[in-house]
Amino acid sequence: MTTKDWRRYFGLREAGVYYALLLLMAIIGLVTASSSGANYFSAANLTNILYQASLVGMMGVAMTVILITGNFDLSVASVAALSGAVLISLAGALGFWPAAAVAMLIAIGVGLLNGAIVQLLGINAFIVTLGTLTAIRGLVLIVTNSRSLMIEDPAVKAQMVAFEGGRAPIQAALFVIGGLLVAGAAYARFRQKKDKTATPWGAAIGGVALIGLGLLGGPSLSVAKPVVYTAVYTLVVWFVLGFTTIGRRVYAVGGNSEAARLSGVNVGLYKMAAFVLCSGTAGFAGILFASRLGAINPTALQGAELTVIAAAILGGTSLFGGAGSVVKTLVGALLLFALANGFNILDLGANYQGLIEGTVVVAAAAIYTVGGARRRRA
Amino acid sequence: MDAPLLQLRKVEKTFPNGTVALRGVDFDAYAGRVHGLLGANGAGKSTLINILSGAAPASRGTIVWRGREVAFKTPAEANAAGIATIHQHIPLAPTLSVLENIFLGRSGMWRHNPGERIRFEALCRDVGYAIDPDVLVADLPIGKRQMVAIMQALGGGADLIVMDEPTASLANEEREIVYQAVRRLAAQGKGIVFVSHFLDEVVALTDQVTVLRDGREAMRAKTKDVDERAIAEAIVGKAVATLDHLREDRAVVTGPELLIVRNLASGDKLRPVSLQVRRGEIVGLAGLLGAGRSELLLAVFGADRHATGEVMLDGEPLPRSTAGAVRADVALVPEDRKTQGLIPGFEIWRNITLPHLDDTAFGRLLTRRETEWARGAAAIEKLRIKAPSPETVVDELSGGNAQKVTVAKWLFGAVKLLLLDEPTAGIDVGAKADILALTRRLAESGVGVIIVFSEFEELLAVCDRILVMRDGAIVAERAASATSEHELVLLAGGRGARGERAAHPIH
Repeated sequence: MTTKDWRRYFGLREAGVYYALLLLMAIIGLVTASSSGANYFSAANLTNILYQASLVGMMGVAMTVILITGNFDLSVASVAALSGAVLISLAGALGFWPAAAVAMLIAIGVGLLNGAIVQLLGINAFIVTLGTLTAIRGLVLIVTNSRSLMIEDPAVKAQMVAFEGGRAPIQAALFVIGGLLVAGAAYARFRQKKDKTATPWGAAIGGVALIGLGLLGGPSLSVAKPVVYTAVYTLVVWFVLGFTTIGRRVYAVGGNSEAARLSGVNVGLYKMAAFVLCSGTAGFAGILFASRLGAINPTALQGAELTVIAAAILGGTSLFGGAGSVVKTLVGALLLFALANGFNILDLGANYQGLIEGTVVVAAAAIYTVGGARRRRA
Repeated sequence: MDAPLLQLRKVEKTFPNGTVALRGVDFDAYAGRVHGLLGANGAGKSTLINILSGAAPASRGTIVWRGREVAFKTPAEANAAGIATIHQHIPLAPTLSVLENIFLGRSGMWRHNPGERIRFEALCRDVGYAIDPDVLVADLPIGKRQMVAIMQALGGGADLIVMDEPTASLANEEREIVYQAVRRLAAQGKGIVFVSHFLDEVVALTDQVTVLRDGREAMRAKTKDVDERAIAEAIVGKAVATLDHLREDRAVVTGPELLIVRNLASGDKLRPVSLQVRRGEIVGLAGLLGAGRSELLLAVFGADRHATGEVMLDGEPLPRSTAGAVRADVALVPEDRKTQGLIPGFEIWRNITLPHLDDTAFGRLLTRRETEWARGAAAIEKLRIKAPSPETVVDELSGGNAQKVTVAKWLFGAVKLLLLDEPTAGIDVGAKADILALTRRLAESGVGVIIVFSEFEELLAVCDRILVMRDGAIVAERAASATSEHELVLLAGGRGARGERAAHPIH
């Protein structure tokens, strides 16, 4: 690997979001330690950030996929709320699992509808999903009759808690995943000559970091279940995008859909699938959200779609399609929630939070754009 | 001899990544003369143009403009000094009118300005071309857009006009309009730098010719002292075999029918068309731009959802989707490599393997880098693509080399029927011969080929049989050995041999 590769690989454009997260956590950690003496880096607080970021992270992963295919989905938060509302209103009568299945089917149906309008009628995805964002929220108001709904049945409640609540020990999983990443990176380096590939330092470093976390956290380290769901989901999508023909075609469809089509890629199917994935993920997130509270408020998750998109942008996903990484989106989501968590811990007041978050997003976009332009010129 | 308008002395250009594009080029441009600038893909033409137009600074050497040494930092500076550049990809705003596009760069606050129309009329007179100023550019065919771009460049009152392949995407009669404009402007005392791959037009149009090869000047001469062959040799650096050798007595193709098309139609673009292609046969489609040639290829490939009719390959109906067509071993090299052929941001190897990605993967699912990379490397070698490695992103390739990638991506899977739409557009002489020879070899191995060329010479060189299209229909069929460029021009242009249609302009 030449110095130029190093600079690209670890430059702001490629790795900026990791630096930003580390820097932010270091600053908040130092300030909390010096001002209140509280331990920002306690396992309890860090896993709490993971828990808070899990739903947005999960939806961000799906959003990244749809952005890569060159489309857009503004309706995710509304779909999540609808899915939650359907679950809460049906779970009493049908039981938890059947109600969750209905909620998922409805969410997937919205994805099919979004995709069909965009693909078949050729209307811009931004406009279509802006419409469904509003319409689905209206549907939520109809389903809930503008009131908060709650689960009364204790048996259903227990199922929800079992599904969403509780914690899972993760030391073993961290060792396994970290080990696999390091082994994979070592294998890639071993095959470097043959495969003409650059050593995947990112995977190696990530693997070492996971093993390190496992050692630091000890056997008692545990996270909430939604964190596990998000992690597994991200790993699967990451693998599919990076190592399969499906992933390659997803990027090709977003890079130039006409060229992909004329190369025999079923562009319509891929774009449609991205809509379904996005809405389906939102539906799942909505089920988790409703299960967390055992209730749903008609304005639940309002505006969350913007946080989801912000996470994808922080992760360097292109709004024009063809580029993006789900792992970095996840880190982008963590960055946003670490920031919010820091504001809480430092007791700075929520007033400044929006301002700072917005600034961070624009600064990130600026780094990607300027950094990208500089690379092209070189 | 009068002083030159522009003098370049020992101009060099080295890019930050170490690529040396120019290694000391001298170039003079005089008022009232047309200067031809030629060279193979990657010879340094584009770099030289960028230096002239102020888009990129020279690394070393001097540029003298009207007797004064200059160093343009931006295109606007060069423009203000009186150098206008018309780039290959026409940078017009499609949603604005012709008038608004032509005066896009002007200052002033109001969108509409009565003085503009008077200046526009003067401009039309200068160029010798009339066009409706209020038509949206999006509604114009590409030939007229090219004229709008030329008028836009002249709108600022330039003395030296640099034209980068202004005729590359034009049909014959549209080219003639550009030629007339060039001659007129030269007669008015403007200096013209005319970049082109077409040797015949360079010989016919220019006063002086400069050929670049590997960043150096390979030839500088008065056009009247050289001929096409000499220029071609200067471009390639060795004696080139002309296309004629491809035409050596070819046996009549008698293989079994491979493709049968019956009544394939699509809207107004394509009237019901029927044709057959045998195994090993190369069928050429001749016609002007907009005659329906590309539409026919897209419809056969299943890329046109609205097409009706029957397409049979090897006796079985061809599925009406691009994915189905690729699975049935049909390949298409589309007309426009930028919008239809390549995935920007993908490396050469990723572009190459896209059509037959499944074949390279474990269980059709897990990608195998080693296999894919090897295909990229093989493509570079096979078509002599000028790139450091398969790792090169296609955006960084010059036009001709990018075109080679769009051809190469079909060379690694089974192909029964190959559809080629202007496969040599923007490619230099040497590479053109490579691609034509490759097409012939593929045909000899039993592949059926339908090929579209705007250049009738190329059609005659490579095809067995030629179908002439006009207004979306096939109007004539000729064996390549039994026709001539002259006859094809007449057939395609509306003055049919049988005189069935009156001559009329086609837009």
